[in-house]
Amino acid sequence: MKNSMKKFLGLFIVSTLIFVLAACSTKESSGNTDNSGDKDYPSKPVTLIVPAAAGGGTDTTARALVASAEKFLGKSIGVVNKTGGSGSVGMTEGANAKPDGYTVSMVFVELTMFEHLGLSPLTHNDFKPIALINLDPAALTVPADAPYDTVEEFIAYAKENPGLKIGNAGTGSIWHIAAEIVGAEAGIELNHVPFEGAAPAVTALVGGHVDAVTVSPAEVKTQLDAGNLKTLAVMSDERSNIIPDVPTFSEAGLEVSNIGTWRGLTVPKDTPDDIVATLEAAFMKAAEQEEFTSFMENSGLGIQLKSSNEFQQFMDENYELFGKMIKDLDLH
Amino acid sequence: MMSLLTEGLANALQWQVLLVIIIGLLIGISIGSLPGLTSTMGVALILPVTFGMEAVSGILLLVGVYFGSVYGGSLTAILINTPGTPASAATALDGFALAKRGLANKALTVSTIASTIGGLLSVIVLILVAPQLANFALKFSAPESFALALFGLSIVSSISGKSMSKGLIAGLIGLLIATIGLDPIGGFPRFTFDSMDLMTGVNFIPVMIGLFAASEAFHSMENLFSSRQVAMKVEKIKLKWQEFKMLIGTMLRSSGIGTFIGMIPGAGADISAFVAYNEAKRFSKNKEEFGKGALKGVAAPEAANNSVTGGAMIPLLTLGIPGDAVTAVLLGALMVQGLQPGPMLFETNGPIVYTLFVGMLLANVFMLFIGLAGIRLFTKVLLIPKAVLIPMIIVLCVVGSYSLGNNYFDVVVMFVAGVIGYFLKKFEFPASPIILGLILGPMMESNFRRSLVMSEGDISIFFTRPITVVLLTIAIITLFTPIFKAVLQNKRNGKGELL
Repeated sequence: MKNSMKKFLGLFIVSTLIFVLAACSTKESSGNTDNSGDKDYPSKPVTLIVPAAAGGGTDTTARALVASAEKFLGKSIGVVNKTGGSGSVGMTEGANAKPDGYTVSMVFVELTMFEHLGLSPLTHNDFKPIALINLDPAALTVPADAPYDTVEEFIAYAKENPGLKIGNAGTGSIWHIAAEIVGAEAGIELNHVPFEGAAPAVTALVGGHVDAVTVSPAEVKTQLDAGNLKTLAVMSDERSNIIPDVPTFSEAGLEVSNIGTWRGLTVPKDTPDDIVATLEAAFMKAAEQEEFTSFMENSGLGIQLKSSNEFQQFMDENYELFGKMIKDLDLH
Repeated sequence: MMSLLTEGLANALQWQVLLVIIIGLLIGISIGSLPGLTSTMGVALILPVTFGMEAVSGILLLVGVYFGSVYGGSLTAILINTPGTPASAATALDGFALAKRGLANKALTVSTIASTIGGLLSVIVLILVAPQLANFALKFSAPESFALALFGLSIVSSISGKSMSKGLIAGLIGLLIATIGLDPIGGFPRFTFDSMDLMTGVNFIPVMIGLFAASEAFHSMENLFSSRQVAMKVEKIKLKWQEFKMLIGTMLRSSGIGTFIGMIPGAGADISAFVAYNEAKRFSKNKEEFGKGALKGVAAPEAANNSVTGGAMIPLLTLGIPGDAVTAVLLGALMVQGLQPGPMLFETNGPIVYTLFVGMLLANVFMLFIGLAGIRLFTKVLLIPKAVLIPMIIVLCVVGSYSLGNNYFDVVVMFVAGVIGYFLKKFEFPASPIILGLILGPMMESNFRRSLVMSEGDISIFFTRPITVVLLTIAIITLFTPIFKAVLQNKRNGKGELL
């Protein structure tokens, strides 16, 4: 009895380990086999590197998109989370992968900022774009009971009370830059308080420990619906479809650059164009499916589709813009 | 509320729902017991599965994984001195000591019962007084979090083992490692040597796996071929009613601590377990037993880390504020199901909320039965010969640290920590203070500096806020009491040696 139990247990553990190892190895092996299969691409599963932790906004967006894209690509797509270096670790690996279309990388706005911030030499020019999927603008959000209801009143109040505390998602983060721009354009003195990400900054705003935040509508949506916070304006050309009642900054009388976070898909820069076209078609179609759009809507995330060429141009513009801003704001 | 609860009970008592909870718990316990796979990762990996499910079943599946994984971490902590999750690092102190004495059965029984009691009590608090508590949790800003972190660090003195100076040195090593990476306020790289891997700092989970598991494996290798190798024995000694009665006070206190820390944004299961351990020792009459296999040393951290689960749900459900990484994932899950957490949730979706409450209570009860039934199976791990177990542990260490972020650098960190841990063990330096320093260092530093940014450099922000003052006072008392005692003792004994 005892012996058979031991055997069973040993077998159980060994099989578990094999399973775990196998699970790891399939993720790895898909980038390094033969190169000849271009004609019938894709002939094997595709790996999607997500340079962010499992469970976050970037990760859930990737997984929802993958679920919808697999049927258009005709092969399964495995998501691998590679964290570290504010995303630069995963993105660098994606840029250095074999350019055969079997390793796709999710990239986000920080890709056009790394070099300017001195965090990594990696830029968008190390990739070939597939498509832009999501874009969320920065939004100036304050407590619901704050004594100002418009951007104008906010600026007037900030001029009388210099040093309003404005929470951001970390020094050099996209939301920090957004807040700096608002301060510079409006000519007001703000006290920038960095947090470890957007969620703790929003929590501090709800608790009344800071006076405003400049994060995306998705990150404050719950609190807007609960009536704890109100958004004064969004930093984009068009109103956000998540909070359509909120004006843009230019409607509110303050011209600021468009600042927002975005997420898109890329492949290494030497990937053949016909493979990029295949991927572009599959992911663009996937992003239009009802299952994906309803996921994004429920999560408060904005969908913005841009084709490969448009995405390239968009990243070029971002890269220039952030280069100038980071220099002007002396964040380097 | 009673009618809503009965309605919730009726909704929850469907076989599909019950099955989903049990499946969630089993997945959670497996994930929790594997070092490197954290609660957050478990919940995040199961999340996409729930998109296609009904709201109640989907959320309860995740709740099951969450609860199970917090409990599961204690199994490996007790059996092989390898905390499956950071929340069980405190459990390993006395749990493994008990296992070495052949009392693994008893330690696992205590951990299972304490986990269940902690979980149940926290859910009951959640049901009864969530809105009132949530508003208190919101009062926690940077100065309060700094004071809490400092209080947590003061615990170093009680987990130091034999020598307090060695414990303090270990704690400082942890704090020093925590300074590596981008500085949390200014974004300036510190000790990164232009390495991208060091940019975000040294992840404390591979360090923990290395210090506890890998070093233990290296240590056991020494005696592998020596003739005096003794197999671990598992005695069939059950927990006596008398012993259980002694633990009730500890479990209740620890559940309170866990629920409280759970609802505070930014503080979670790992901190609560250490704090509860410290308080159990503070209130105990036999302080010298701690570290050598005190049942209270297992009951306290386990009740505390499981009661964090209910506590963390308080701000999540009533305010829509996720206090930690796990609840952030749960927030996403709720939103995808069209359930908007916040004050309106209870009004618009009352029946669903109370079904979730009943489901959480049931999850804790099932955990008790699964845990107790599994003990016989779990303890078989100890009967595996060392020559087979050690390679398996090392494989698990590698897989665990790699799977954290699919990053080889974490594996390197784990091995380096393992080698350092081996020598620390040789020279009798305790490993837990390093973990404590690594967990609390960043929390303390960033909140200290954030407080000063908020107050524009005015240090009085730490002395004018009541919660901050209370926590800072307790921290100072906790840190210095043992030192004062040692000084007094020495004076009385006429010995000149300090510490």
